[in-house]
Amino acid sequence: MNSELSATSHAYRDSARMVHPVAWLVWAGCAGLAAVTTTNPFYLLPLFASAWIVHSTHRTSGPAARSFRIFLLFAVWAITIRTGLVLLGPINQGSVANALLEGLRLGALLTVFGTFNSVADPFRVLKLAPRRWHESALAAALALSIAPRTIASVERVREAQRMRGIDIGRWSGLPSLAVPVLATGMDEAMTLAESMDARGHGRGTRTRYRPDRWSPAATAVTAIAGLAAAAFVAAAIGGWGGLEPSTFPLVWPEASPALVASALAFAAPALVAPGRRR
Amino acid sequence: MKTAVRFDDVTFFYPERAEPALVGCTLDLPEGAFVLAAGETGAGKSTLLRAINGLVPHFSGGDFSGRVTVEGRDTVDHPPRRLADVVSFVPQGPAASFVLDRVEDELAYAMENLGVPPAAMRRRVEETLDLLAIEPLRERSVRSLSGGEQQRVAIAAALTANPRVLVLDEPTSQLDPQGAEDVLAALQRLVHDLGLTVVIAEHRLERVAGFVDVVVGCRRGIPPIVGGAAEVLRELGLGPPVARLGVLVGWDPPPLTVRAARRDAVHLQLGESPRRVRPPRGDDLVTTHDLGASFGPLNALREVNLALASGEVVALMGRNGAGKTTLLRCLAGLHEPRPGMVSAHGAAPRAGLDVALCPQDPDMVLFRDTVADEVRATRAARRRGHQEVLHRFGIEDLQAIHPRDLSAGQRLLVAAAAIVATGAPVVLFDEPTRGLDASSKRRLIEFMRSHAANGGAVMFATHDVELAAEVAGRVVMLAAGEVIADGSPADVLGDSPVFAPQMARVFGAGWLTPEEVAAAVVPA
Repeated sequence: MNSELSATSHAYRDSARMVHPVAWLVWAGCAGLAAVTTTNPFYLLPLFASAWIVHSTHRTSGPAARSFRIFLLFAVWAITIRTGLVLLGPINQGSVANALLEGLRLGALLTVFGTFNSVADPFRVLKLAPRRWHESALAAALALSIAPRTIASVERVREAQRMRGIDIGRWSGLPSLAVPVLATGMDEAMTLAESMDARGHGRGTRTRYRPDRWSPAATAVTAIAGLAAAAFVAAAIGGWGGLEPSTFPLVWPEASPALVASALAFAAPALVAPGRRR
Repeated sequence: MKTAVRFDDVTFFYPERAEPALVGCTLDLPEGAFVLAAGETGAGKSTLLRAINGLVPHFSGGDFSGRVTVEGRDTVDHPPRRLADVVSFVPQGPAASFVLDRVEDELAYAMENLGVPPAAMRRRVEETLDLLAIEPLRERSVRSLSGGEQQRVAIAAALTANPRVLVLDEPTSQLDPQGAEDVLAALQRLVHDLGLTVVIAEHRLERVAGFVDVVVGCRRGIPPIVGGAAEVLRELGLGPPVARLGVLVGWDPPPLTVRAARRDAVHLQLGESPRRVRPPRGDDLVTTHDLGASFGPLNALREVNLALASGEVVALMGRNGAGKTTLLRCLAGLHEPRPGMVSAHGAAPRAGLDVALCPQDPDMVLFRDTVADEVRATRAARRRGHQEVLHRFGIEDLQAIHPRDLSAGQRLLVAAAAIVATGAPVVLFDEPTRGLDASSKRRLIEFMRSHAANGGAVMFATHDVELAAEVAGRVVMLAAGEVIADGSPADVLGDSPVFAPQMARVFGAGWLTPEEVAAAVVPA
C-alpha cells in the first residue's frame, strides 16, 4: 500500500535549489501586505491566481499541503458571509458591492496564508527558531503533530462504541468517547515526554542537522515579492492606482497596468524556483 | 568480560501499589550480549527495561531501592537525558515516540541534543539509513509509514546516538514474520560487529530464541533468574514450539531453534500425519463479492471473494500493508466497498449486529471503572447479562478491577468481551496477539474455539504463525490487496519459507503443533 507513495516521494531534498522557508515567509508577508492595501478586484483576482499557481507548483507532499483547500474554503465562506450580512440590512447596490470587495480582500489574505502553509513545511519553519526559543518551537511542532492524531483516535473510538450500541450522540454517551480519547492522548503525551528525555532533550548543548540553505532562487523570490509589495505600498501612500474603488457612487474601477503586473509577479516562484517533481 | 549494565538488589514499587514490580533484582549484563527479558505480562519485564535508562524511577515515580549502573553511571543520579549517550530506548508501539515529522530529522534528533558536530551527524544518518535499509524512506513523514517501517525508523533513531546499550520493548510485535526476521538480524549484526549490548522484551519466543545469549527470566514477586536461554525458559515453563515438543517427547535439554530440533528429531519415528477432519461447512454468515476498497488513489483491496461460514475459525495473514485491516473493516461494514459488495444474509452487514470487530488497540474501547461495568456498557449485554461473556474469556475474577490496572493482555480480553457482548455471530480480531502473553493467548484461543463450536465464525488478522497453526481451520493469505491463498493451514503455511510454523519446518508441511507431533510418535 505504501510502495506507490514512496515511488513518488523519492525525490531528494536539494537544499541548494529549494526555496528557504524564510523566503516563503517573506513572500507570504509581501503578498498579504499587497492584499491589505486594496479592494480593487483587478488587483485581487490576479493575486488569487498567483497564489493558486504557487500552490500548484510548490506544494509539499505532507498533510499540511491540504491546508490550501481548507483556507480557500474559508475564503469563499468569508466572501459569502460578508456579502450575506449586508443583505440583512437596507440594501443598495453600493453596500453590496462594498461588502463583496471587502470579502474579496479578506479571501485573498486567507488564500495567501493557505498557500504559505502548503508550500512551506511547518516543521522546517519551526526549526528556524533561534536557540533560546527552541522549547516553544518544539512545543508548537508537537502540537502540530498531535492534532491529526487526536482526530484519528476520535474516529476509531466512535466506530468501536457505535458497534457496541452506545449512543455517543447523547450527553450520557460522552464518556464513552472522551475517556478513551483522553486516556490514549495522555499515554501518548507521556510516551513522547519520555522519548524526548531519553534522547537527550534538555541537555543544553545543541547542534543543528542539515540547516536549510539560502539559494539564489530564494533571493529571487524574496526580491520580486518585495518589489511587488513596494509598488502597492507606494500606490497607497501616493494615492494613485485606484486601490480602493469608490462604491458610493458605484463606478467601474480603474486599473493601473503596473499594479496588475505586480499582483501577477507574486507567481514568480513558479518560474524562478524548481517546483514539485512529478 | 566487562559489565554493561549492573542491577544491585533493586526493588521497586510503582506509586500507590502494594505489590512490587521488581524484587531483589541482581544481575550483570555483559558488554556485547544479546539479552532477552522473558516472562508473563505483569512479571516486570517492562519495568526492568525502563530501569536501565532511568525512566524508572525518574518518570514513573514510586519507591526505588538498590542501584542500577550503566557503563559505571548510577541511574539515580543520572536522569534519562544524562544517559542518552550510553543507552537508547525504543518503547513499544514507537509511533507515539516520534518527535519530528521527517524520517531524516527524526534520526538526527538525539544527535542534535547531544551536540554532535554537523559533519558527523550527516555521516551517521547515512550509515544508519543503510544499516536498517530505510534509505528510500528518508524524505517521508513518519506518520505515513506502515507499522514495520515505523519500527525500523525508531530503531534507527535510537542507534544514531551511538549508544553502548540498546533497549527495545517488544520490537517485533507489529511486524510480519519477514519484517521481524530482518529487524532481529540487524540487531544481531550490531551485537556481533559493534559489540553493542542489546536488551529486548519479547513474547514470541520462536522469533528470538535463536538469537539471544542471555535470558533474564522475570517472575512476579520474586527475583528474576539469569542464565542461558535453555535453562531459564525451562524454569519459567516457557519456550517456542520446538521446546514444547522437546518437553513432550523427553529431549533434554529441549531445543530452542528449528535447527537444533532437526538434529534431535533424526531418531524420532512418526506415524501418519494428522488429517484434520474438517467439519461439514456451515451456513455462510458473511460473504464478499468482487470486493475492492481504496484510500484516495491507492487500491487497498482487489476482487476479494470470500465467505465466512458458521463454525469456522479463519486466520488472515500477509505482510504489513497487505490490506488485512481494510478487509476486516469492510466485513464489519465500517469501510465502504468500492467496487463489489459485502453481504450478511442478503444485505450489507450491520456493525455490532451481524459482525463485530475488536480493534487492534483495546484502549480505544475501555471507558468504565470496572471490568463488569465495561461489559455491561455494551447495549446487548444489558439484556443477556455480563457474566456469561466474562466466563467465555475466563476473566470472571477480574470483574471488580479497573481496566486500566490490568496488563495489556488482560485489557485485550476485556475489550474483546465488551465487543463480543454485542452478540454478533461473526467476530473479527485485528492482530489480537500484540503484546499478548502466553496465558492470555490461551484464553483467547479457547474463546475462538467455543465461539465457532456454538455456530459463530471468527476471523483474526495476525502475524503470529504459531497461533494460526494452532487454532485456525483455514488460512487466507493476502498480498497487495488480493487473496493469493485460501485453504487449510497445512496447505497454505506448511511449505512457505516465511510463514511455516516451527513443526512444519522440522517435520514437513503436514505438521502444525507440537501436540500433534507428540501424539503421532511411534515408540521405539
